[in-house]
Amino acid sequence: MVIKDTIQGLFIYLTIAAYAAAFVTMVLGRRRTGNLLFVAGFLAAVLAYVYRWYDVRHVPLQNLFEVFLFLGVACYPISWFSGRVLRIGGPWADALIGAIVLFPAGFVFHAEPMQLPPALQSWLFAPHVMVYMLAYVFMAKAMFQAIAQLAGHGPAVGATGLAPEPATYELIAIGFPLLTLGLILGSWWGKLAWGNYWGWDPKEMWSLASWLVYVGYFHWRYMFGTKRPAANSLWALAGMAVIVITLLWVNLSRLFPGLHSYAT
Amino acid sequence: MGRFRRSVLWAALLAILLLTGLSIYSAFLGPERAQAFFNSLPLAVYWFALIALLAVGIVVFRRLLRVPALLLMHLGSILVVLGAMWGSNSGHALAKRLLGIDKIPEGQMAILEGTQENRVFVTDSNSTRELPFFVRLRDFRMEYYQPGQLSVRSETGQSGRVPAEAGQTVSLDEGRVAVTIRRVFQNFRMDLQGDERVAYDLPGGSNPALEVAIEKPGEPPARRYVFERAPGHENPNDSVRLSYFRAVRDYISELEIVQNGKVVAAKHIEVNHPLHYGGYHLYQHSYGQDKLGEYTVLMVVSDSGLNLVHSGYAMLLAGVFWHFWGRRILVALQGRRTTAGEVAG
Ligand code: HEM
Repeated sequence: MVIKDTIQGLFIYLTIAAYAAAFVTMVLGRRRTGNLLFVAGFLAAVLAYVYRWYDVRHVPLQNLFEVFLFLGVACYPISWFSGRVLRIGGPWADALIGAIVLFPAGFVFHAEPMQLPPALQSWLFAPHVMVYMLAYVFMAKAMFQAIAQLAGHGPAVGATGLAPEPATYELIAIGFPLLTLGLILGSWWGKLAWGNYWGWDPKEMWSLASWLVYVGYFHWRYMFGTKRPAANSLWALAGMAVIVITLLWVNLSRLFPGLHSYAT
Repeated sequence: MGRFRRSVLWAALLAILLLTGLSIYSAFLGPERAQAFFNSLPLAVYWFALIALLAVGIVVFRRLLRVPALLLMHLGSILVVLGAMWGSNSGHALAKRLLGIDKIPEGQMAILEGTQENRVFVTDSNSTRELPFFVRLRDFRMEYYQPGQLSVRSETGQSGRVPAEAGQTVSLDEGRVAVTIRRVFQNFRMDLQGDERVAYDLPGGSNPALEVAIEKPGEPPARRYVFERAPGHENPNDSVRLSYFRAVRDYISELEIVQNGKVVAAKHIEVNHPLHYGGYHLYQHSYGQDKLGEYTVLMVVSDSGLNLVHSGYAMLLAGVFWHFWGRRILVALQGRRTTAGEVAG
């Protein structure tokens, strides 16, 4: 664990504090205060991200630190979009997601700026990662809805919109095209950079697996509809579990000595 | 739903689950063994079964045929798998046996600067084969991010970094050690002039180095040279460790394709910008130097099946976005129009 005593770090800690406070106030039923705190956190996250961009002079999506910072920015707009457009509530969960993803950015990952190696100098690289991160936020929200369903809640705390099971489906339906696009952009980029559109690398195998879990979910839900809501929710949980492993595989693979791993 | 259609769906679900499980399993194998595994005979059976299942699904579920987005997704999946099979080693072997198309699936070629080459080393079969054209390397070069970096580490373990520019200083241990860059050399050379050794820059070659001065209170400044190419080259009496690092920005090979003595194509290839000619893609892969000079190493990959895979990707994407986003956007737009109409009416 490293504390970042830089301006960069300060912005991140401010965001975490605001998101965490937003989560607590919303759960306590203070929606308006919670929302204000969420927005304040978002603005701090934007500052942190813009600062990083200025600092490294390329789209900051190169290493896990930058990727998690981006996640911390993305969760508010996605929360807003889900509430307004999809009528899916539960902004408390989004504030919690924001605080959780920024924790490793603030305390675990190193923030040393690096120059882009040749392979990463592709216009496909930033969209590939960005689209994946957006998909992950939708899938994380779906997981919270699935948990609410399994816990026997009606619409998530304080929400007026969809019930958890259909909300889970809607979120996965929005996230899945992004997941597909991320996979295909990655494959296309791999072809240009390394000569093969599929490298059989562990991280690629995990990302294929996470995509397939959602393909399985769709077919399962087509077969059983809403007759087995708990099973539907378990698919959503499994999908997120595989996503987390995909995202952190480079770090997790150290638990399996002798395994090939590569730096991001 | 009929029993047959239900069994097809169950089979599809199991096929998807099986592939998920196998992907996770092979994540523990590492890339080489994972590739061998997915190209093994049992998996070939699986791939054919998956294609058959998708095809049967399209036939027995009318909606898969009638709803364009669903058709695009499932047909796209078929094309991706078919294209991958066509481009695999077995696919190449089959194409040779059935159609007489004899292409090299994948290999590497090393080309010395100023020469041309058509021999490709095929790693899988440990053999050398020939391309139907020659590749000439006019020039190979590397570009670096400017400036490089000087890293300094003191006895106490403190460290610092500065851009490798004359005048930059690293100060460590509360000012007890200061390292200042005096000169930056592109191609460091040293000559003896009388009793004195004189360092100078000789244009043309490449031996990047820095001249630094190490200053400690109460001691005269010590002059040192830091070489990028010889990171371990240090003075054992020094209390500070110095290293000079330049990050590579690009590897560039200027290539020409020569067929029947004529140049038929040319491109400066670099990482992310391969050359496509005669059914092959040529990639910047590596480089090296031997007594004959500098050479580039290209990766040569057959483009068989690539069009199928790319078409499959396009269909899959179009289908998925239309099915999950397009319809929702349309409904939302229509909803808004009706609401606006109601208000207006
Ligand atoms: C293995 C053979 C497969 C069969 C027999 C099959 C069959 C089906 C059927 C019958 C549906 C329902 C269509 C409807 O809404 O009426 C469906 C939906 C779907 N399939 Fe497949 N499928 C297969 C493989 C795949 C694969 C490999 C993919 C990967 C892209 C895929 C992606 C989808 C998606 C995204 C849906 C939409 C689900 C929804 O609207 O919720 N399928 N499939």
